[in-house]
Amino acid sequence: MLWLVRAAIVILYPRTDDWPGAEDCDLDAFLERFRRESTFLMWLGVVVGAIVFHLTPLMTVFVPAPAFLLSPALADRHAHKVSSSNVYLVRQAIFLVKLPGGLVWGSHPKVRERFALPALGGDPGTFRASEKANDP
Amino acid sequence: MTHFAYRGRDEADLDIEVDYVVVGSGAGGASAAVTLARGGARVAIVEAGAWRDPEDYPTSAYGAMRDLMDDWGAQVTMGRALWPVVQARTMGGTTVINSAICVRTPDDIFDQWKREHGVEGLRNRVLAAQDRIEEDLFVSEVPVAARGRSNLLAMAGATAMGLKESHYLRRYVKDCLGAGQCLQGCRDRRKQSTNINYVPETRERGGVIVSCAPVDRVLTEGSRAIGVIGRFVHPNTRAEGTRFRVRAKKAVVVAASVTHSPLILMRSGIRLPALGKFFRAHPGTGVFGCYDDPVDMNVGATQGWASTQFRVDPGLKLETLAIPPELVASRFAGGGTELIKRLSRFRHVAMWCHAVRAESVGSVSRSLFGSRPVVRYELDGADMLRFRRGMHLLAQQHVAAGAKSVIPGIAGMPFELDKDDIDKLADAPLDPRAYIAILSHLFGGCVMGRDEKTSVVDARGRVHGMRGLVVADASVIPTNLGVNPQHTIMALATVFAEHLLA
Repeated sequence: MLWLVRAAIVILYPRTDDWPGAEDCDLDAFLERFRRESTFLMWLGVVVGAIVFHLTPLMTVFVPAPAFLLSPALADRHAHKVSSSNVYLVRQAIFLVKLPGGLVWGSHPKVRERFALPALGGDPGTFRASEKANDP
Repeated sequence: MTHFAYRGRDEADLDIEVDYVVVGSGAGGASAAVTLARGGARVAIVEAGAWRDPEDYPTSAYGAMRDLMDDWGAQVTMGRALWPVVQARTMGGTTVINSAICVRTPDDIFDQWKREHGVEGLRNRVLAAQDRIEEDLFVSEVPVAARGRSNLLAMAGATAMGLKESHYLRRYVKDCLGAGQCLQGCRDRRKQSTNINYVPETRERGGVIVSCAPVDRVLTEGSRAIGVIGRFVHPNTRAEGTRFRVRAKKAVVVAASVTHSPLILMRSGIRLPALGKFFRAHPGTGVFGCYDDPVDMNVGATQGWASTQFRVDPGLKLETLAIPPELVASRFAGGGTELIKRLSRFRHVAMWCHAVRAESVGSVSRSLFGSRPVVRYELDGADMLRFRRGMHLLAQQHVAAGAKSVIPGIAGMPFELDKDDIDKLADAPLDPRAYIAILSHLFGGCVMGRDEKTSVVDARGRVHGMRGLVVADASVIPTNLGVNPQHTIMALATVFAEHLLA
């Protein structure tokens, strides 16, 4: 299912003439990490969001094919239309796959540099172990 | 050992005894614990999350969801709209991930508590506790150098609109550097979250800290609370570890949050009709203003300006809130090249938000399977009118500050409204599903009151019908405050702990 999520995110956050896309932002490594670290329900939500994304071009661009088979131009139109769908549950499902896409795209040094923000320092994931009173 | 962290299943169970055990280390739990410790008692703080120091904090929003938030920030309300309910799960609780805004309990709240819930005798003690807490935690106004352009623009907009009540925020922050990282935890140690002051002080005064330890239930003997039990959970792998049991010679103080405190009491056999009821919140959302010059909202205090002018009528608080680009990326509507085009203007947008003093009431209950809280909550028509009015006010404030357009984020409306079109917001839909909102300040579930049929605890936080069992967090607050609740939570917990010592 990873490729399905990846394909949806690449279409939702595409590379443009001026801006890097999600695929330029270490997307594969991020998705591996996200799948490994997140809860089952969270990952399930993202996968469901990706499935909804790929199965709805008939609703948006009137083409009976999954989004990953669409031409780049049609896929782009689908991404915009389905993200702004009038159907609440569709919009929410797409949000679930937009969220990890935004997390990887918006935190990447290439994007942050364009926003005049310093590169982030990483997420150490560390915490205090058991210790005695006089430990530092 | 005075700090016990995760223990695997191959290790021995933890069994310790103290005078008081405090469940939770956020605003309520840490304040109660340090008060008890200062009174000479031996206290154990039992926290579900890990103890992370500022060096351990993540820097990205992803890391904050993973390391600091309860359930990855994925808890949502069950109702017509699925709105996130954001709470922390880390030593220091939500004080680690909030903007440390300090607002004293408004006077009318004490009158309301007395009138509607029979809660008396708190006003003077709460205000006295707030004096001390402000000194402890270096409360001060956002310094000039840390205000950042978004906060300055908000002040300018409010002034241009003629708002009489408009101010830079007072926060539990010592010498803010304006790093704009409040929501991911302040790695500069400027924000005074309780994991860097009250929790270490409790330990230094002979206390015991137990982390990675979600409490399953309170142990009772007859009608007396005698301790808590649970099983360690690894903060990274979520693997269950060995059991822990913390016995309390004098009392158990539950301060595990609005969503978890009621559940702990339910699992402990407490059968009061009001348990889990009267859940309230400050639902809110943001409106982006688009400016010609860069705003760079992530430079400066995350939240540095607010107005409580509309707190009573119609029931709103307005404030600034800077969110990082990775969250704006999913917050903006649209996808594909159009989304990237919209996001390319990130430097030129400022997000200001409202918090609605909603009258709607919901509930907290246990999920069918497992121990996850289920929050049922939905805004009624009157609250949706307040909600929409707040968005209109924010748009007006942006325009008054010089914005050329605003991005309201309402489904069914244009993505962007020109400054001459913002009055269209007065007719925006009233369906909550059209909005991207969040519930940030939560109240209720174990509310204070005199009547056992309509409340869970009395005015000293004591659970009705029990001995040695106190609740000391936002779940006891029976009404919607209309201001940021941390100061009220801390003061109430302090007062309840003082009563325990008396």
